[in-house]
Amino acid sequence: MRRLIRSRGMVLLAVLALAMVACGDDEPEAAPTTAATMAETTAATGVPATTQPAAPLTTMTEEPSETDEAPTTTVAEVTTTSAAPTTEPPAEPVTIRAAVTGDESTLNPYTYISGFPGWNLLMLQYDSLMQLDKNGVPRPWLASSVAVNADLTEYSFTLEEGVTWHDGEPLTAHDVDFSVDYYINNVEASRFARDLRGVEDLVVTDDHNATFVLSAPNAGFELAALADVPIIPRHIWEGVELPSEHQFEGGTNIGTGPYKLVEYVDGQSYRLQANPDYFRGAPAVDELVVIVFADDAGAQAAIRTGEVDVIFERIPPEQIGLLDSQDPLDVILGPEFTTQMINYDASKRPFDDLAVRQAINLAMNRRDIVDTVFLGAATVGSAGWIHPGHPSYNPDIATVYDPAAANALLDGAGYLDSDGDGVREFDGQPMSFEIITNAPDSLRLRIADLTVEMLGEIGIHTSVSAVETGTWEQAVWPGFDVNNGRNYDIAMWGWSAPVQADPLRLPQLVASVPAGGFLNLTGYASAEMDTLSERLGQEPDPAERNSILGRMQEIIAEELPFVLLLYPDGAYVYDSSVYADWEFIAGQGIVSKLSLLPPSARP
Amino acid sequence: MRQRIDIRRLAQYGVVVVVAVTLNFLLPRLMPGNPLVLIAGVDVGLLSPEQRAEVVARVGLDAPLWKQYLRYWGDIFTGDFGYSFRSGRPIVDMIRDRLPWTLLITGLSLVVSAVAGVILGALSAWRRGTKRDLGMLTGMISIESLPSFWLGMVLISIFAVQWRLLPSFGAVTPASDLVGWALTWDVISHAILPVLTLSILATPGVYMTMRYSMLETLGEDYIRTARAKGAGERRVLFGHVARNTIAPVVTVLAIRLGFAFGGTVIVETVFSYPGLGRLVFEAVSGRDYPVMQAAFLVFTAAVLVANLVADLLYPLIDPRTRAS
Repeated sequence: MRRLIRSRGMVLLAVLALAMVACGDDEPEAAPTTAATMAETTAATGVPATTQPAAPLTTMTEEPSETDEAPTTTVAEVTTTSAAPTTEPPAEPVTIRAAVTGDESTLNPYTYISGFPGWNLLMLQYDSLMQLDKNGVPRPWLASSVAVNADLTEYSFTLEEGVTWHDGEPLTAHDVDFSVDYYINNVEASRFARDLRGVEDLVVTDDHNATFVLSAPNAGFELAALADVPIIPRHIWEGVELPSEHQFEGGTNIGTGPYKLVEYVDGQSYRLQANPDYFRGAPAVDELVVIVFADDAGAQAAIRTGEVDVIFERIPPEQIGLLDSQDPLDVILGPEFTTQMINYDASKRPFDDLAVRQAINLAMNRRDIVDTVFLGAATVGSAGWIHPGHPSYNPDIATVYDPAAANALLDGAGYLDSDGDGVREFDGQPMSFEIITNAPDSLRLRIADLTVEMLGEIGIHTSVSAVETGTWEQAVWPGFDVNNGRNYDIAMWGWSAPVQADPLRLPQLVASVPAGGFLNLTGYASAEMDTLSERLGQEPDPAERNSILGRMQEIIAEELPFVLLLYPDGAYVYDSSVYADWEFIAGQGIVSKLSLLPPSARP
Repeated sequence: MRQRIDIRRLAQYGVVVVVAVTLNFLLPRLMPGNPLVLIAGVDVGLLSPEQRAEVVARVGLDAPLWKQYLRYWGDIFTGDFGYSFRSGRPIVDMIRDRLPWTLLITGLSLVVSAVAGVILGALSAWRRGTKRDLGMLTGMISIESLPSFWLGMVLISIFAVQWRLLPSFGAVTPASDLVGWALTWDVISHAILPVLTLSILATPGVYMTMRYSMLETLGEDYIRTARAKGAGERRVLFGHVARNTIAPVVTVLAIRLGFAFGGTVIVETVFSYPGLGRLVFEAVSGRDYPVMQAAFLVFTAAVLVANLVADLLYPLIDPRTRAS
C-alpha cells in the first residue's frame, strides 16, 4: 500500500509537469507583426548593372493598382448603404455584436492588452486631441485647432467647447496637462509614455488653450502623440497611485468618447453603450457588444451562424472568398502597414557581404508569395521598406526578381559550389542556414517554405525551424534589447503597423545601434544612414524631410539591412444586414470610432 | 501501527506539495520567452532602458530568483497571489470568475461519463466475448483516439452551424440581461456541446476500467460459488460482482475529479468557454508568471486532495485493503 502511494505521487508530479509543458505550445503574436498594402513595386536593389527599370520589372510591377483599388471601391459602396440608418429618425436601436480573439482586460489606458484591437476598443471610450481620418492623416478632434511653430518644438492647441466626461464634468486643458504628466510618471502604459517622450512641458494658458513644449524638433508629434494618447480625467485619476493594478468599480471607465463601458465579464464579453451627448454627435450604433473568442475559427463559425455581426480581427486570406460569398456577409479590404520580411545577421559572415544580401533580395519572387500564400490579399513589398500607398513612398525604388542576376552576383563575389553538391560555399563551409520562424503564424511559415525554395535556386541551402513565439523572439531580439545582440542566421520577421505608419520611425530600424537604432535587429550599420537618421528628426521642412526619407529608402533598397517581402492587406467580415457603414482607415482597419459615428460626424 | 502509517503518508503528501510548488515556480521561468511584452504592452522594444528597468522593478522581477521564490511561499500562506501581469486584475478574482465554469462542464461530463462508462462496461463484461461486447470495445477504443478539437468542431458544425439548435460559443449569451429560468436554460444550452464533447471522450476510460475490473471479478472463485449455491443472475450481479468491481472505478473517478479543476484547455478553446484552462493557456502564452503560479497551485491542490480522498475511500469500499 505504501509503495502504491509513493508511486502515485510520482505519477501525479509527472502528469502535472506534462500538463504544464503541454500548455506551452501556442503563442499569440506579441511584439512583431506585419501589415500593410501596396501599390507599385519597382525595381532595383543595389545591384549595379541590373538597375535599369525596363528589364527588371519582371513579375511584380503590374498589379499594384488592383490591390489598391479594392479599398476605395468598398468604401464607396459602403457610403451609399450607410445613409439609411441615420436618416430615418425613429429607427430601431442598432446593436452590433463584434467578435475579438482574446480578452482585453478592463480596457482603460493602463489595463488594455493588445495594440490591436485592444487600443482600438480603448479609444471608443476615450478621445485624443487629434483623430486619424480615413486616409490615416491626423485631424483636430478634441482640439478644435492645432498649430505648430516654425522649428517644430511647440504645438499649441485649443480645445473644443462644451465637451464633457461621461460623468458630466467638463473637459479642460488641465485634464490634458494631467494626462501628460500621468503617462510620463507611470510608464507601465508604455505606449503613451513613449509617445510623449521629448515633451518638456505643457504650458496651460487657460481652460481651453495650452502648448506642448518639446525638447527637440519633432515632425511626427501629431501622428505619434496627439492622435494616439487618450486624454484621461484628472478628477478620476489623481487619486490612483498604482494604475496598472487599479480596478474601477464594475470595470467602468470614464472618458469623453462615444461609448461607455457598462459591463465587462472576464473572458467573455464587453458591453459598450452609446454616449448620446458625444461632442461630435450621437453614435449611429447604440450598443456594441464585444464578444471574446478563444480563437479565430470560433469567431468565423459564429459569424456564419449569425451569432456575431462583425469580426474585429483580420480574417485569413483563404476565408475571404468563402465568407464574402455567404449572404448577408460582406468583406471589406484595405491597406494596412504591417510587414513580412526576412532578417539576417548582417554583422557576421556571410551576410555582412553586400553581394550576399543583394542576391537574397534578387532571389525573392514577392509576387509569387503574395499570390500563393495570401491568395492576392497582400501588397508586394518595396525593397525600400515604405508601403507604396504611403505618402512617403519613393516611387523610384525598383524591386526586382531576377535569380539569374543573383547567381551571377554570387559567382562574381567568389561564392562557388566547388564540391558540386548544389550548395555554394563561403570560407570553406557550405552556405547552409536555418530560417527561424514562429510556428503559430501559419502564413509566415508558408512564406518561410517558399523562401527555402527561392534561396535554393541561387545555391543557398536553408531549412525552416518553426518554434514557439517566445523562443523565436528571444533568438531574434533577445530581451527586446538590441544591445543583447542576435542568436540567428536568417529569421522571418514582421513589424506591427505603427512602426511603418510613422515614417519618422525609420531611423529606429536602420540607424546603427549607438545612433538610436533600437529596432535594428540585423546589426546593419552605415555612416550615411546614421547621418540621415539624425537629420530626419530635426528637419523642420516637410518637403526636405520627404527627400531625406526618399534617400533612406534608396539606401535600404541598395544595402538591404533586411529584405522586405510584402504588406498583408486588411480584410474584415461583417453582416451587412445589421450594419454596413464601416470606415476603413488606411493602415488601421475598421475598428475605430469613425465606423460607429454617423458619416456626417467623421473627420 | 496505524498512526505511524498516517504520519508517513502525511509526510509524503508534504514532500509532494513542496516539490510541486517549487516546480510551479520554476517551470514558468525556465520557459524561453519574456513576460515584458505583456507587462509593458505590445511595443516593448520602444521603451528606453530606464523605462524598461522601472517596469521590471514594479512587478518585482528584478529581485533575485530566491527572493521571488520566498515571496511565492509567502503568497501561498497569505492567499494573496497579487495581480496578473497581463490584465492587471487580482488573480484571486480571475480564478474565482473562471473556476465555476470549468467545474460545471468538467463536473457534468464526469457524471455523464461515469454513468455511461459503468453501465456500458458492466453490460460488456457480463456478455463478454459476444459480438455486442467486441463491437462496444472496438467502438470505445476508436472514440478514445478522437482528437478533442476535431470532435468539438464537428459538433459545432452540426448542431450550431447546420441545424442552429445550440449556441456555438461561450457560457452565456453576452449582454442578454436574462434572469431566472431563461438564464438557467441559457447556461444549460451553452454547456451542452462542451459537456457532450468531454463526456464522449471520457467515457471509454471509465468503460475500460469497469469492464476489466468486472471481468476479473467474474473469474473469482466466490462468484462460481455463488452461482453453484443457486443465486439468481441479478443477485450475483448486484450482491457479489458489483460491490467488488466498483472500487477501482471509484478511484479512477476521484482522480479524474482532481484533474477536472485543471479544465480542458482544448475544449474550452474550441467553444470559447471562459474556464480555467483557457486562462492558463493565455497566461502561458504571455509568460504571465503570477497567474501561472496561482493556477498551477490550484491544480496541484485539487489533484492532491482528490488523491487523498481516493486513499481514504478505498478502505471503506474495499474492506480487504483496510489496515493491513
